[in-house]
Amino acid sequence: MSIFFVQLLTGIAYGMLYFMIAAGLTIILGVMNVVNLAHGTLFMLGAYIAFSFISNELNFWLALLLSVFCTAICGVILEKLLIKYVYGKELEQVLLTFGLSFILADTVEWLWGTEMKTLPVPGLLDGSISFGDTAFPIYRLFVVLFGCLLALLLWYLEARTRIGAIIRAGVDDREMVGALGIPVGFVFTGVFAFGAGLAGLSGVLGGPLIGMYTGMDSEILVTSLIVVVIGGLGSWKGSLIGAVLIGIIETLGKVWFPSLSMLIVFLLMMVVLIIRPNGLLGREVA
Amino acid sequence: MNKKAIYTTLLLIFIVIAMPLILSDFGMNLVTEIFIMAIFAMSLGLIMGFAGMVSLGHAGFFGIGAYLVAILGQHIGNTYLLLFFSIVVSGIIALITGAVFFRTSKFYFLMITLAFGQLVYALFWQMKSLTGGADGMSVSAILNFGLGDLFSPLSIYYVMGVAFIIAYLLLRLFVESPAGKITKGIMENESRMQALGFNVQIYKLMVYTLSGSMAGLSGALYSYFNLYVSPDLSGWLFSGQVMMMVIIGGVGTLFGPAIGAGVFIFLQNFISSYTERWPMIMGVLLVILVMAGKGGIIHWLQHIQKAVFSRKKITDDKNYQLKEEEAAS
Amino acid sequence: MSLLRVEKICKSFKTLQVLNNVSLDAQPGERHVIIGPNGAGKTSLFNAITNQFPIDSGKIYLEDREINKLSSHHLVHLGMSRTFQKNNLFGDLTTEENIHLALVAKKRYRFNVFSPLVKRSDIRQETEEILQQWNLSDRRQMKVKNLSYGEQRLLEVLLALASKPKILLLDEPTSGMSPAETQKTSEMIQKLPRSISLLVIEHDMEVVFAIADRITVLHHGEVILSGPPEKVRNNEMVKEIYFGGGAKLHA
Repeated sequence: MSIFFVQLLTGIAYGMLYFMIAAGLTIILGVMNVVNLAHGTLFMLGAYIAFSFISNELNFWLALLLSVFCTAICGVILEKLLIKYVYGKELEQVLLTFGLSFILADTVEWLWGTEMKTLPVPGLLDGSISFGDTAFPIYRLFVVLFGCLLALLLWYLEARTRIGAIIRAGVDDREMVGALGIPVGFVFTGVFAFGAGLAGLSGVLGGPLIGMYTGMDSEILVTSLIVVVIGGLGSWKGSLIGAVLIGIIETLGKVWFPSLSMLIVFLLMMVVLIIRPNGLLGREVA
Repeated sequence: MNKKAIYTTLLLIFIVIAMPLILSDFGMNLVTEIFIMAIFAMSLGLIMGFAGMVSLGHAGFFGIGAYLVAILGQHIGNTYLLLFFSIVVSGIIALITGAVFFRTSKFYFLMITLAFGQLVYALFWQMKSLTGGADGMSVSAILNFGLGDLFSPLSIYYVMGVAFIIAYLLLRLFVESPAGKITKGIMENESRMQALGFNVQIYKLMVYTLSGSMAGLSGALYSYFNLYVSPDLSGWLFSGQVMMMVIIGGVGTLFGPAIGAGVFIFLQNFISSYTERWPMIMGVLLVILVMAGKGGIIHWLQHIQKAVFSRKKITDDKNYQLKEEEAAS
Repeated sequence: MSLLRVEKICKSFKTLQVLNNVSLDAQPGERHVIIGPNGAGKTSLFNAITNQFPIDSGKIYLEDREINKLSSHHLVHLGMSRTFQKNNLFGDLTTEENIHLALVAKKRYRFNVFSPLVKRSDIRQETEEILQQWNLSDRRQMKVKNLSYGEQRLLEVLLALASKPKILLLDEPTSGMSPAETQKTSEMIQKLPRSISLLVIEHDMEVVFAIADRITVLHHGEVILSGPPEKVRNNEMVKEIYFGGGAKLHA
């Protein structure tokens, strides 16, 4: 029984990680209608940048902050230089971000090589808590906690601030919002940077959990896309549910059907789509 | 068949026959690969340009076709059977996945096809005992259409060349057929097509199945050609590459993707011989293509064609004007 | 037997009720015009009848066959066709190609993947007839987006007619037209054979009274009045809500 419980908790931890990265994706997607296929690569970038800092004796938390900062800046640059020219043009966005992901991923391979790496668990969170006769890593509990905090933050931003409304209005009618004196371009850049920073953050936090290796960007991108599809476009709450669901099913699946865990997740997505073509909490996309 | 198609076909036949005379062994090998990739690119071009569907996981079908030949080829020697299986299995998978995928919006379709491609990749990667996992597996199957084993580079070249021409012709037929015109209409204005009485879902499924089976065929042919398959054949990079081929050649045209395949393979070989950073360069090319507008090579060719034949158009316009004046008087 | 029968249909979008217990019918050969101020729910009515969205309650019958649950493309095969208020054509295709598409919808070879469409003699002949009858022969190779607005509006109707419907739903056929074009369109509608029943949404009162056998007035999603033109023209309530104060209801 307690082994099952441990697996469940592990699944939730992974789920929370998926939630963190999917949140950035779904916000950019649902709010700005931008498909960002380089999202997984930003995740990867965050992890590798932190790796470099940590390898140079920097504290985990400081490395985390710097990584997030770097990926957010990356987001700003990308948005101002490239992304903003393809608003509203879906195929162009796909191709552009596809190309960007190749550039970034190959840069990572170039600068850091192809061997697998890991980020060490920060000293503060090293160790485990015992549940009966099994031990559970504290770090994973931390990830779960962090995910909850993020959910809280998003809820607050959505329910209590005007930002959500402004962004939504800006997507619908950019000129009008601009005429009202609100700097729409600034807001869009900000949202994109937020999403990028979130991706980098998840990368760093995910480092000790899933490691760092070539191809991790496409893997995590696909997982987050599945989360977004299951949860519903633009709904971070849906992403939370979807992510945790996937985390649990994937972890349990790995135990029982090791070579088919991805198939199970994929089938889950198909089932959800058959029942609810717009995802669990999704709305019709414009 | 219209004139353009006939000329193109004759030109192709000529090229296929004539090329071995001027190419080195290496060159012939390259062109053989181009023929195979051209089939693959045209299959993606079909759904992108004629049905308006952007699929990011088309390499999934390619891998399925390739591995089918590799795995079944260990037990079955009949070429016709193996090719048949590749086409049919990929087609069925396209049909089933398409039926679920099309109920969702375009956004979702994009993402789901990506997930599909990655799923196929993951399956090939994980089912080590069957597929050899990340190390890939070698292909023992040999082409044999009833006249003896074909394993010389020249004979394989001709097989692929013929396959390419047949694929082109089949697609031409489809595009000019009622079903093809209707599919194009659906891409132009889906709601009107529905209001005119067309069951839009069936046509989308039809074209997706056709595209999937063609992609599977190209994968199968690749197996015979390369004699080695790996999970990367269904990976994200490869899906991106075939999409680039379509874009370079021109979305919305039948033959454009084939040209794009040629340009791409050539570039890839050329640049890879100088640097390992081909993915990065490919990414940069993609970004440049997008930012500069996605006309593609075929549209440039069409511009030239219009410029050369523009005199004819002016005369037509003059006739039209004369008729208008007559009617008014 | 009514050709089309709509019984007490209701539809709300979130909190907005667009159709409230709307009932009407269309008889064979009739010209039934629907009028009402903007936002009255007229186009929503058309959308509901053609199953663009599911209705909340009520029933719709085509020749006594319940059609609520059918998919919208099926209705064309049962004899019901519609046009759109905003031109819904294939702009980048030629006039000829537009008509081809409309014609092929009911052909038994519409799933054929081999022989070229343009070689089919029946399609070529039928297209030719349509082009000749409506004076569009010299526009056949022109891309539809380059046609004049009036010609596009005409094509809009021709596409719906191609399936030889029993009942045709025309959504504001004269919208956006100049007086001359409106006149031409009104004549065109009157020339349509009586074998086709018409259900027309129209704003221009001259056109309404020129073509209508029967008029139904819609307001806030409800049927206010239905009857022969004289009855509607002289009704005080209609004058009030439709024209407010000051405007004249002239024929």
